[in-house]
Amino acid sequence: MSSVTTKTREPEASFSATSLAKLRHKPWYKSDAFRRLVMCVLLGVLFTIMTGEQAGDDVFYSLNDSLTNWPWLGTWVAVAVGIWALITFHSYLLGNPALSPVHKVIKDATAEVKKVTPVLGRREVKWPLIIALVVVLALLPTWVSGFWNQVMVNEIAVYVLLAIGLNVVVGWAGLLDLGFIAFFAIGAYSAAYWTGKLPVSPPVELTPFLVIPVAVLTCLVAGVLLGAPTLRLRGDYLAIVTLGFHEIIYLLATNADEFTNGPAGVQGVPHPTLDLGFWSYEWTTTDLEQYWWMIMVIAGILIFLFLRLEHSKVGRAWTAIREDEVAAAANGVNTVKYKLMAFAIGASTSGIAGVVMASKVQFVSPASFELMFSVLVLAYVIFGGMGSIWGVMLGTAFLAWLPQILKDYVDEQDRHMYLGAILVIMMIFRPQGLIPSRRRKRELNLAKEGLGDADAMTEPVGGRVS
Amino acid sequence: MIKIALPVVASALVLSACGSDDKDDDASSNPGGGNKPTYTIGFQGGLTGKNAQLGINEANGVKLAIEQANAKGDLPFKLEVKTSDDEASPDKSQSAAQKLIDDGNVVAVVGPAFSGPTKAASPNYAAAKLATLTPSATNPSLTAPANKFTALLRGTPNDNMQGSGMATYYAKKLKLKTVLLIDDKSEYGIGLAAVAKADLEKAGITVKTESIPQGTPDYTAAATTVKNSGADGMIYAGYYQDGAPFAKKLKEAGVSIPMISGDGTNDPEFIKLAGAAADNWYLTCPCADANVEEATKKFAADYKAKFNEPAGTYSAESFDLANMIIEQMKTFGAEKITREALLNKLKAAEYKGLTKSFKFDQNGEYVGGAIFLYQVKAGKIEYLGDIDKLSAA
Amino acid sequence: MNLNEFWDYLIPGISLGALYAVIAIGYTLVYGVLQLINFAHSEVFMVGAFAALLVFTKIEPSNPSGLMSVGLVALGFAVSGLAGAGTAFALEKVAYKPLRVRNAPRLAFLISAIGASFFLTHIAGKLFGRDPKPIPDLFVNKKVFEIFGARVSVLQLIMVGAAIVMMIGLDLLVNRTKMGMGIRAVAQDAETAGLMGVDINKVISRTFVIGGLLGGCAGFLFGLNSQVTYTMGFFPGITAFAAAVLGGIGNIRGAMIGGMVLGIVESFSAWQFGDEWRYVSAFAVLILVLMFRPTGILGERLGRTA
Repeated sequence: MSSVTTKTREPEASFSATSLAKLRHKPWYKSDAFRRLVMCVLLGVLFTIMTGEQAGDDVFYSLNDSLTNWPWLGTWVAVAVGIWALITFHSYLLGNPALSPVHKVIKDATAEVKKVTPVLGRREVKWPLIIALVVVLALLPTWVSGFWNQVMVNEIAVYVLLAIGLNVVVGWAGLLDLGFIAFFAIGAYSAAYWTGKLPVSPPVELTPFLVIPVAVLTCLVAGVLLGAPTLRLRGDYLAIVTLGFHEIIYLLATNADEFTNGPAGVQGVPHPTLDLGFWSYEWTTTDLEQYWWMIMVIAGILIFLFLRLEHSKVGRAWTAIREDEVAAAANGVNTVKYKLMAFAIGASTSGIAGVVMASKVQFVSPASFELMFSVLVLAYVIFGGMGSIWGVMLGTAFLAWLPQILKDYVDEQDRHMYLGAILVIMMIFRPQGLIPSRRRKRELNLAKEGLGDADAMTEPVGGRVS
Repeated sequence: MIKIALPVVASALVLSACGSDDKDDDASSNPGGGNKPTYTIGFQGGLTGKNAQLGINEANGVKLAIEQANAKGDLPFKLEVKTSDDEASPDKSQSAAQKLIDDGNVVAVVGPAFSGPTKAASPNYAAAKLATLTPSATNPSLTAPANKFTALLRGTPNDNMQGSGMATYYAKKLKLKTVLLIDDKSEYGIGLAAVAKADLEKAGITVKTESIPQGTPDYTAAATTVKNSGADGMIYAGYYQDGAPFAKKLKEAGVSIPMISGDGTNDPEFIKLAGAAADNWYLTCPCADANVEEATKKFAADYKAKFNEPAGTYSAESFDLANMIIEQMKTFGAEKITREALLNKLKAAEYKGLTKSFKFDQNGEYVGGAIFLYQVKAGKIEYLGDIDKLSAA
Repeated sequence: MNLNEFWDYLIPGISLGALYAVIAIGYTLVYGVLQLINFAHSEVFMVGAFAALLVFTKIEPSNPSGLMSVGLVALGFAVSGLAGAGTAFALEKVAYKPLRVRNAPRLAFLISAIGASFFLTHIAGKLFGRDPKPIPDLFVNKKVFEIFGARVSVLQLIMVGAAIVMMIGLDLLVNRTKMGMGIRAVAQDAETAGLMGVDINKVISRTFVIGGLLGGCAGFLFGLNSQVTYTMGFFPGITAFAAAVLGGIGNIRGAMIGGMVLGIVESFSAWQFGDEWRYVSAFAVLILVLMFRPTGILGERLGRTA
């Protein structure tokens, strides 16, 4: 199938004379406006249900309650119809939806951003900005409450480390990995093992900092072990195999009680200690800032290394493999080596995160490594904009922060519902992620103009639709 | 598509703006009572994630206790409730705990619900000297003094007692030779199974073990395993959510050996889900007959009225623990309640609740606790009596 | 390893495998036309089960038998199939089509599907409760047949029978009808099919509906076999997806074979190693097969092989 078409697409959403004429011939129930109305009303009903009562003993209770709660239902439907009217009649009145204020605001904003972006890239602006950002981040834990400190360390920072690692595999090498948390588990269990907390005792007991290189090594090996049999697989086959790998690791942790203590988990993984001879420090349960700073340092080192890697021979080889594996191989790229390398590097990053998590929480059990987390961390990476380290970090921070902040506004049980809705909405409006990598942005623009595909390696989804 | 998708976002924005103001929590709706001080009782447990229903049951129990205490009007203070969801995950547990610790009004916490999150969060609670009374974390190692979980009080007998109760009944009363022990690979299940196994073996019974993890897609194979095992008794260490479909398949396979399960299964929902297949199952519980007393009936009715669902597993236990906290808070009178003082009072306190009497030893372990035996007969959980007395007879 | 036990475990394996096969077809069909993992298909399955639950809770059948039972089971299929189809249709319109129109990258579809799956799971939990619910008995006749000394229940017969009927029907639909031709054409080369006058949007929509129909019915059977919960879709969904890949994703007959293989492997591993190793064996088999046949047992692509 050709990946290049010369077909140009009609500009969307413009009411040209011909399209209006077409509209006139359509029966009323097929008109865009009517469809939109139905959609809006349905959405109104959906929001009523979403914000309604929790379920009761009777399975119909919640449904009945929210659908007979007329004022509430009425409000939502009215809001929905209002929005519909606004959109519909706006475009009729002005004749061109591109002139609507919403569009104007969005357009102005994008124009502003476009103006600012190149300035940000300039060396004399970029570095002060980065330094300011680092300072703000470093001071952040001293400004926020203990709760947010915990969230920042346990839920955001640890997952940021994971996302940075997964970004190498998915974003740069283009290998779809749905089982990334398996390496996180390996790292955490390594920490438990080498500090002597597992039922099986290690040859020597190490402190958490010394475990890090060991865990990195273990994960490297695990990454290569996973990578080796999957080298021939592509795309979605790889996804299910990595998912299977995750499930196998997770179930081993759960079922091999005599090695891992099973679902009861292992307790008492020590906090890290640092002994430089002239100065020593021990992290404790209440030292939340210190943990944050520790992870910042680790993340900083990783980011520095990875950014160097991205623009090195290795990074270019990954790009080549991601874009077209066959072509890359034909041009002398050792695809086996570089794919394994991506797996290994990603895995070892995950291992570091595992060690950090284990010694921060001091407790390791399979419940931290459920399949859902592997899916979530992939969502974090793509939400942020895969391939771009900054995007990935921002995406992770946002999506890990969101369920926490939602705690204050919605029923706690329902948070994942909102999270799901936000993922869908985000992918509809910004499929490239929050901060897409430069290369990706270019590809997407080409795809929009019909000159190429969003993914160079595959044909577009379901062919071109116009 | 922009045209269709735009309203989605616009309404989502409106939603997030409106969503916040209709969510008045139950506690804040009580009538203002002059300038009484306000205190908060926290709850930490998994309201989402695995076994979310158990967390919800417990949170509701606490909410009900606080609402009723406020409504009585004889308190020298106003009470509020604050729930904190730990998703039943150890690494989310610390931040959930911190949320309660940060709130200076929180004087005591019911929870955490499960042993894993308890292990992760207890050092934080201990550092904050904030009392945590767990209604359902049963892992025996939690109260080991070496942990230094000084703020943890276990409001439920640990697995040791139930597991040995089951073993005693099988060994002494039914005099079985071979017992098949099945756990559900949850923390609760394996803890219970490990204890039962040790006690059964001590009593000279041959033990075969199997694991049937939660959420197994089809229990037919498991039922076949039981049928072919040749055991003359079975222990299921798990929750009713999985016990019920398993019971159905056991009945279909024609298994008729004695079957016993713990308090995770001792729930009316078990019968609702398993139907006739639940008949003849033995169920143990550290709680005395909860169906006869007037107070219990009132609790069940109030709970149903407030939450539109019947009180579930651990609802009554959480209700009891919340009331225990409230009772101790009352002893302060007009004095300001501090976390540490309340913790010390709770450690020494004794409280007779709906389900059982609560008292703790110096490690925070639940003291006393006979184990009671129930049996499902014709779709009802019938009370048989104290398991030790039954076995001695 | 005695022969009686062999049959004892083979039969639940087959009935579970039949369910997996039916769900796997949903994944495979969508993959065939869009080359996408429809991660939210597991929720279609869950919605099907809930639809049946709601209807039978309303009807409250009391001790049905004979023709009444047949009618009820048929009603269950109809309701859950319709609900599944409706969900899949809506899913395509909300979570896929807007992305398609924008030429979104493939992974965006995956995330959008994951989001939709989260949303559906938790809204079902909110609406209908997070505790499992039983579907009332639809037949009192719980007669158990003996085949080679192994027990076979009526429900297992229904499960396998329904799966076979659905699979044959689907095979005919895809291979013999005009609509099937459209699906195959889009699967083979969407762009060219579009140029030849096939309405791609309609074909995609219909593919989702067919997959949803099957998924919903499978949900009903699954609920009948155990119970209905809001999270019930996740693991059967993952396994069925594995089954689809095992057979060669995009290949309908492959999905059937893959489902059967995984069902039987799971059942036998429950026998030999214990129930807790079910998924380990299933995924180990999957990985082994893919190592030697990187495109699954039958190879991929709807258009080429089926």
